[in-house]
Amino acid sequence: MTSRYKLLAGSVLALAVAAAAGGPAVSAGHIPHAIGAAVSTNAAPQDSTGRSSGHQVTFNRDIAPIVFHYCASCHRPGEAGPFPLLTYEDVKKHGHQIVAVTQTRFMPPWLPEPQPLKFADERRLSAEQITLIQEWVDQGMLQGRPADLPPQPLFVKGWQLGKPDLIVKAAKPFQLPASGIDTYWNFILPIPINESRWVKAVEIRPGDKRLVHHANILVDRLELSRKMEKQPGAGFGGMEIRIESELFDPDSHFLFWKPGTVPYVEPDGMALRLDPGTDLVLNTHLQPSGKPELIEPSIGIYFTDKPATEHPMLLQLECDAELDIPSGDANFVVHDEFTLPLNVDLLAIYPHAHYLGKELEATATLPDGSKETLIDIKRWDLNWQAVYRYEEPVPLPKGTTISMRYVYDNSEHNVANPNHPPKRVKGGNRSSDEMAHLWLQVLPKGTPDSDRDPRMVLQEALARHHVARDPADFEAHYNLGAMLQAAGDVQGAEAQYQAALQLRPDDATVNNALGAALLASGDLDGATEHLSASLKARPDYFDAHYNLGSAMASQGNFSAAAEQFRDAVRLNPQDANAEANLGSALAQLGELQQAKSHFERALQLNPGHSLAQENLQLVEQMMAERH
Amino acid sequence: MYRDRQRVSATLVLILGFMAVIATTTWIGVTCVCASELPAGVDLAGKPVDPLRTDAGKPVVLIFIRTDCPISNRYAPTIQRLSADYAGKTAFWLVYPDKSESSGAIEKHLRDYGYKLPALHDPQHSLVKLSQAQVTPEVAVFDASGQLVYHGRIDNWYQSFGHARSAPTTHELDDAIQAVLSGKKPEVATASGVGCYISDLE
Repeated sequence: MTSRYKLLAGSVLALAVAAAAGGPAVSAGHIPHAIGAAVSTNAAPQDSTGRSSGHQVTFNRDIAPIVFHYCASCHRPGEAGPFPLLTYEDVKKHGHQIVAVTQTRFMPPWLPEPQPLKFADERRLSAEQITLIQEWVDQGMLQGRPADLPPQPLFVKGWQLGKPDLIVKAAKPFQLPASGIDTYWNFILPIPINESRWVKAVEIRPGDKRLVHHANILVDRLELSRKMEKQPGAGFGGMEIRIESELFDPDSHFLFWKPGTVPYVEPDGMALRLDPGTDLVLNTHLQPSGKPELIEPSIGIYFTDKPATEHPMLLQLECDAELDIPSGDANFVVHDEFTLPLNVDLLAIYPHAHYLGKELEATATLPDGSKETLIDIKRWDLNWQAVYRYEEPVPLPKGTTISMRYVYDNSEHNVANPNHPPKRVKGGNRSSDEMAHLWLQVLPKGTPDSDRDPRMVLQEALARHHVARDPADFEAHYNLGAMLQAAGDVQGAEAQYQAALQLRPDDATVNNALGAALLASGDLDGATEHLSASLKARPDYFDAHYNLGSAMASQGNFSAAAEQFRDAVRLNPQDANAEANLGSALAQLGELQQAKSHFERALQLNPGHSLAQENLQLVEQMMAERH
Repeated sequence: MYRDRQRVSATLVLILGFMAVIATTTWIGVTCVCASELPAGVDLAGKPVDPLRTDAGKPVVLIFIRTDCPISNRYAPTIQRLSADYAGKTAFWLVYPDKSESSGAIEKHLRDYGYKLPALHDPQHSLVKLSQAQVTPEVAVFDASGQLVYHGRIDNWYQSFGHARSAPTTHELDDAIQAVLSGKKPEVATASGVGCYISDLE
């Protein structure tokens, strides 16, 4: 058997070369037919093929360690790989294919080029390993001595971190059709908790792993994505989703799944906060398999008692506004750079483009002028996008400039191009649009000269950067306004909100924010106008009712104020401030008994509420005096 | 280039292990082909079948697939559509070249993917050799006289492993069938496919 394979291997090489050189067509059956670059990329390893003559490569000694380390985590039952690669027989049955896919670096999937800054769980074969696999197949796929075989890797069955504290399943599975283009589906997973909890890990079970290319969780603290569903629990389509947040609570963690992912456990003090009423939105990229499939994802949540003491933040650079790629352009370049206003530790990086992306590169230029490659992808493939976590946090000092440079190929040459013939493509959220995003998970370090939340310093700098680059960036104007307001620059905030309203005059969030800013600066008429506009756009908006109540009270219109606070209390019965203010407005109207009950309710919610305490005493005195 | 099937000698071996398995697919079984020089696969009950003799007189398409090849699996809807388009005019056969696949696994695969085509097992690779098939999925088109007139990919959906177009832009199998039905030779005689190597199955 051995010699037979050896002979065949010899003829394979000779014939493949002949075919490549335009030689006669070869009879079928025995030649591992070279696909695309499979044969031509043999060029580089040929040296070592020559060098290693005489060395017998065996599965047990040489190949099993590679396959067990790099392949088996996905190529085993229940995982993403279409067939198992756990035994000699498994691997032999795909030998020529493994040579081809490793030489083109289609497998194992790992997009970044090697670089000094190491990523955790790097899944990249060395050139020597690829050559070794080829030699093994050329030599006839010898099994070798049983004693040489390393033990099969042990994989945890079921939930990877043990039984989760909370398992949440999608309300309805998604029916993936047998054929068609890739599908992007979002499942809303309401989190049934009664109090705020700290999360140290989330395991994503995206459904049948052979069908899910990647999955991403977004935290929706305001149940806003539910509006996208046609029926509750049905989920909704869409590749990119944006979830607004009205609190300063920037996204802080990558919750990402790709084939072979082991759930990441956050270190102590870096937990993610989950509040009651929070939805997790699971965004999945699905590829039809040839038969109809049901996608039924679930997630497992692991809680910790240790609250977050350090607050990472996701920093986003982008060039979407510049994306206007002419049809046929094979080399369209966009670029963005941002200078850090404080020291950060860079923890992870997530480059993102769609089907036209070709090269995605990010670098850091340190204040001393030295350059570090943060990530360098030469052959972008949306299908294998991933979050890359650094082996060690990368300290980037204040003044470091982070640059992204993405190159797009909108020519016919790009196989992934969704348009045939190519057509002009602009930036946008649909899968047919293009994107240029670079997300960095950073841990901002405190600034000695300021006691501001370092995340706010970073967010303000980022918002200024985005506003300067794209004056039509609604979100950046709003975010900059919010940061300025928090820093006490009310006038600066108002200007940014006004700029945002120029772009979207009816936006409820911005009208509320501007109303609140005007209220703070004493412009009661202006405040009333914008708060009313906010409520017109969103009648069930707690914040706007609360703020309008305050504006009415400031104008001495206590009955109108009481009405607004009543709406606020109805919308959020757990808010002590709204209760206390409703009590105050009612007290002003002489409704002492009612006022008393609202102060008492406010104190139930927050026993330390000083305004409610003082006013309750006052009201009780007045009631005693009346009698 | 074209090989006359009569000149191909392949040894017919009955695999006893399959005799016990009862085929339950909807297609009609075929009588035993006794001439041992004819190329044949075996049906799921283990009986030898020569698809070219069975469907003599009309074009025959052999489609090589395996149960665990994600690329040939993704082609299932295309294969179904083409076979439905030419129903009655052209005979389509699925051929499973992996000798380690059991009849039960093949039957389950047919059910899972909703195939309504006759299926053959080709453990000896006699149909593979006849068709010059190299990867799954590849096809072989034989004209009504039994001559191999096209072999290779179904279309150019896949450019290489992991790199599929959103839709194919060339349709070699469809073109070949149309040519054969109108009495012509296909313009393209062969085009290499992307998929799982059949040579790994020897």
